[in-house]
Amino acid sequence: MNTFLRKNTVLLITLAAILALFIAAAQGMEKKDFVITLLRGLSVGSLTFLVASGFSLIFGLLDVLNLAHGTLFMIGAYIGWTVFVRPDTFVDLLTPLALILSGFALGDVYPLLATRIRFGLSLKRILPWALVFTSILLFGWILPRYPIAIWNVGNYGQSPVTYSFMADSGTRLPVLPAAFTEISAPLALIGLLLASILGAFGLALFNNTAQPLKLNWKKFISFAILLLVALLTFIFNDSLTAALTGLSSNWLFVIAVLVATLSGAGLGALIESTLIRPLYIRPIYQLMLTLGMSAIGIEIVRAIWGRPEFVMPKPAFFNGSGGVCPATNFADWWANNCSTILLLDGRVRVYNEIFIPIVGVIVLISIWMLLQRTRLGMVIRAGVQDREMVEALGINVRRVFTMVFALGVGLAALGGILAAPSMGLSNAMGESLFLNALIALAIGGLTNYPGAALGSVLVGLIQQFIIKYGQIGIAIPFTDIIFKPTPPLVPASTVLLMVIILLILPNGLLGKKE
Amino acid sequence: METILDVQNIHTFIGQYHILQGVNVRVPQGSITALLGRNGAGKTTTLKSIIGLTPPREGKVIYEGKEVQGARSFDIAAKGIGFVPEHRAIFRDLTVEENLKIAERVKGDYLRKRDFIFDLFPDLKRLMTLSGTALSGGQQQMLAIARALVPENHLLLIDEPSEGLAPVIIEHMMKAIQLLAKDSTIVLVEQNFLVASQLAEYYVIIEEGRSVQAGNMKDLVNDKAAIHRYLGAA
Ligand SMILES: Nc1ncnc2c1ncn2[C@@H]1O[C@H](COP(=O)(O)OP(=O)(O)OP(=O)(O)O)[C@@H](O)[C@H]1O
Ligand SMILES: [Mg+2]
Repeated sequence: MNTFLRKNTVLLITLAAILALFIAAAQGMEKKDFVITLLRGLSVGSLTFLVASGFSLIFGLLDVLNLAHGTLFMIGAYIGWTVFVRPDTFVDLLTPLALILSGFALGDVYPLLATRIRFGLSLKRILPWALVFTSILLFGWILPRYPIAIWNVGNYGQSPVTYSFMADSGTRLPVLPAAFTEISAPLALIGLLLASILGAFGLALFNNTAQPLKLNWKKFISFAILLLVALLTFIFNDSLTAALTGLSSNWLFVIAVLVATLSGAGLGALIESTLIRPLYIRPIYQLMLTLGMSAIGIEIVRAIWGRPEFVMPKPAFFNGSGGVCPATNFADWWANNCSTILLLDGRVRVYNEIFIPIVGVIVLISIWMLLQRTRLGMVIRAGVQDREMVEALGINVRRVFTMVFALGVGLAALGGILAAPSMGLSNAMGESLFLNALIALAIGGLTNYPGAALGSVLVGLIQQFIIKYGQIGIAIPFTDIIFKPTPPLVPASTVLLMVIILLILPNGLLGKKE
Repeated sequence: METILDVQNIHTFIGQYHILQGVNVRVPQGSITALLGRNGAGKTTTLKSIIGLTPPREGKVIYEGKEVQGARSFDIAAKGIGFVPEHRAIFRDLTVEENLKIAERVKGDYLRKRDFIFDLFPDLKRLMTLSGTALSGGQQQMLAIARALVPENHLLLIDEPSEGLAPVIIEHMMKAIQLLAKDSTIVLVEQNFLVASQLAEYYVIIEEGRSVQAGNMKDLVNDKAAIHRYLGAA
């Protein structure tokens, strides 16, 4: 115990100072303001944590600074919104998506195939380019002609803004099912499959991976499953759409969260295995790549969903009003699903300020259990220290890399869809949260999991307290002056906290000493 | 006698450096073969080339009759090769028990081998819940060897097990290695010639990235000239 105290004096003093600051902040405002500010802080902290923890897991194991993490958070939000507000669009997308992915599911098979075929040296050099080029051409020709029922960014009456508004008021715009007119269905399906296989083959040749000693039959199974999904969603497109639109908004929201998270994970796996992997030996290129991906991601979102901000309706479970609302106790809330609840006279929004922190805590604990209690977690913890040794034990570290990247991006995407009903959707939502996350990690310790949580909560709290004090003002002691922090102070305050903590503890609060 | 591992004229590059420039190692089944040579000769690199951590650019590595060079490390290791690296590479953030469990290749490996490992290294038993960092050098070495014993391995690559250890512990380690040699084949890198000559039946001398001499350890012990020339020892 004594040695613990001595070793961590600085940390303990810092934590005590933060606590004192916190108590001082609490003294300066009314109880109801304090409750709301605290919960808002925790809410922002939770969202920050979802981004920060994924980023930190990826950096810890893979040494990749994924600068696109904020953009992936945003993409998660937009994907979730699509499922929630336009299930028909989502269903239409399933078939082409499954086909596009199918080729990549074959993974290891390509290097094996490449060694079977004997080709000349010049062909060997041209082939990957030719394959990828053909694939891009095919995609470029088919995808614009593939019929997908979708909103129209250019027309306000059919824009995401309008659809969101309609969904919120409970009416859905009549949507015409899209039909194959510009291209015949079989041609489109087979073309996409072919393009995917060619593209994946080409990329595999670029990577020039070592050949596996034996063929992994599981790859063929996932390939077959994807083909089956493509076929089934193609055949049952209309009935699936009808089933989804018929669901209550609560279930639809659950599905939206799942789809957004899984799409994030899938996107992460795809990015790692195709783009990041060839660049492990060139970290600077990797950095530029993720930065580029971030910019491209934002442009893609602008192209598809448009620039204007829009809101995502809350599921009915958190959206009740009238009658006894705002609820004063849990039973009332449960019976009426009020959107707000009174806590110590403070009017608390249930979704934003209670539901999001709860999810944050659940994720915190689940990932902690994953890291501490499962074999995957053990491999991750070991791999953070010594990848080569893990590999030499017979463990496929590269696959673990892909899984961790998928997990990290999945967490960001989960954060995005959770944030959508409270923050709204905008092209910039990822950047501000990513900045939060980076500051949180600097405060908590870059690759320390509990540190990510602590840092995120601190960042969330300090921001919300400054915002609140911006409204009510701080009475400066012994004077009549009331100081009101202005909005620009919000980001500045977190940066200031980071600078101070890094000056005292260069590795962050819980970071390991190098 | 059957050959379990046959390294044929491998050339390995690290970055642009041509580190191994033709190494041949033939390891008979059931023996201990020592890789000898001065500091920086390329012994560690030879082991790493076998297991694929630094894949050779030329030459062949034939393990149990199959060419494995160019395959990924985990694939090679999974064929039944245990690697005990130079600086033990104990995982710091894992407990001693987890350091063993992580080496499981088939579920239940650890439980099957636990008693055997405790018989070999009784010290480990009371350390199980400690973190990897809390161990002394000797304990770390035991753990590193124990880790290679968890899965069903036929070949053990052990790099400098005596490095930095007290004489008593070295003796303990030697006994353990001798015991292991009854069931598996061992390739041993050892700077301490006395230790190597007592343990190994065969030897290969590596000098500046080339294997220059190989044969029976018994003959080398009497070949004072070779010892002096390649190992610098008396
Ligand atoms: N990462 C690296 N980059 C450049 N050169 C390296 C690298 N690793 C090893 N070498 C060089 O390769 C040569 C062989 O190294 P290796 O570790 O195989 O020697 P060794 O015989 O095991 O030596 P020791 O007895 O000191 O462990 C050395 O000259 C070393 O400097
Ligand atoms: Mg060495």
